[in-house]
Amino acid sequence: MRDKTVLELLQARGVSRRGFLKFCATTASLLALPPSAAAAIAETLGKTRRPSVIWLSFQECTGCTESLTRAHLPTIESLIFDAISLDYHHTLQAASGSAAEAAREEAMKAAWGQYVLVVDGSIPLGEQGYYSAIAGVSNLEMLKETAAGAAAIINMGTCAAYGGIPQANPNPTGAVPVSAIIKDKPIVNVPGCPPIPVVMTSVVAHYLTFGAVPELDHLGRPKSFYGDTIHDRCYRRPFYDQGKFATSFDDEGARNGWCLYQLGCKGPTTYNACATVKWNDGTSFPIQSGHGCIGCSEPNFWDKGSFYQPLSAGIWGDRQATLGTAAVAGAAVGAVAAASTRIRQQHASEEK
Amino acid sequence: MSDSKPIDIPVLALGPRGDDMTGRAILRQLEELLAALVERDEPGSIDLRSLPFGPEDRQLLEEALGEGEVEAEVESMGPSRVRETGIPGIWWVTHYGSDQQPLAELLEVTYCPEILITPSDAAKEGLSALRARLFESDHMGR
Repeated sequence: MRDKTVLELLQARGVSRRGFLKFCATTASLLALPPSAAAAIAETLGKTRRPSVIWLSFQECTGCTESLTRAHLPTIESLIFDAISLDYHHTLQAASGSAAEAAREEAMKAAWGQYVLVVDGSIPLGEQGYYSAIAGVSNLEMLKETAAGAAAIINMGTCAAYGGIPQANPNPTGAVPVSAIIKDKPIVNVPGCPPIPVVMTSVVAHYLTFGAVPELDHLGRPKSFYGDTIHDRCYRRPFYDQGKFATSFDDEGARNGWCLYQLGCKGPTTYNACATVKWNDGTSFPIQSGHGCIGCSEPNFWDKGSFYQPLSAGIWGDRQATLGTAAVAGAAVGAVAAASTRIRQQHASEEK
Repeated sequence: MSDSKPIDIPVLALGPRGDDMTGRAILRQLEELLAALVERDEPGSIDLRSLPFGPEDRQLLEEALGEGEVEAEVESMGPSRVRETGIPGIWWVTHYGSDQQPLAELLEVTYCPEILITPSDAAKEGLSALRARLFESDHMGR
């Protein structure tokens, strides 16, 4: 099965040539690639062997896997994910105990240097790493030995990407992200608590399609999904620009759907695709449901002050002065903040 | 909490979004793509899902492009709707999943969208299938 190309796998599932063209066009759209990329995808998938994926879960809550598996998966997206060979995932695999660990070792041996390693959860360094262990092997040890044979690493969720909640003050286990340990492999961060399901599958699909990691921002996130702030793409943005804010969850502003900045929304400093891709099959996202963004795809989001204090009152981000003034002054300064966001994006891009 | 009342929170911003600038930009891009098709035989396309595309933009495009003579539905891994616009050479293609959710929406600038063309491999298989049916028919004495 692993020797088959992705195209052959799709054909074996009864996908016609027209279905394949549709698959490629949709994949290009999902990955935010230009439509002309569909032809390149079609050509590549005709040659690409089914890649092996090993998924390690460390110090985590299983929310990332829940998000992925509870996702509503349309046929084409399912096919993208089915096209990988998920050789080890201790939450999803049928095998347990020593049989499960044997499966991991076998998968590593069979595709040494070629498999994709997906990690969710942070890695505790305290007590020689034994705050968290699987089959007597510490997370630290398992990460090092599995990463050694990986072609690339994808960190799913804020814990693997930046330490997340386990690393939050006072960080009792000495939790660190993958990048603090592994320095010699390409790493893609897909942060979020949890990440958006389609973002997770699409990043895996990108690697599957092109055999390379997508273009990343200065925090290692794919620009296609983390290129804009929530604020930039928020449907309530016009109210921010007009200086119309909700100041409590049941005032006139809240009832009118005005901007949630003063209720602590972290949208202006949070880079993620929630405002465009949305959640639950495109139904909604937190701001649309009346609650501000908590900034879960940013490093140290848990330790940056209250989720219900405006950015201007806390230590969140590095632009609180500009944004604080904007909240008070309304429309005119709102435009300055927007420009500031773009300048920051530009700087991030230039730093990279 | 006993006197709490349900609050109606609008899920869409009130009032107009402001403009249809994306729609106008797309029309300009379509002009360039159609010129490339006519002058250099180069097809092209625009992915509408990659753009901040609001209802005003859609309305502008639908009014500007209009309806053409051809409309087709392809059933493969969920439906795809292929519609020629009133500007020959510009096709509005929407791919849906098996649950009818739109997965991709493209404006294709081409003489005929590839998804409508019979693939050569399929035509070869068709020839074999037709010959088999003729053979069967001959032996049945029909």
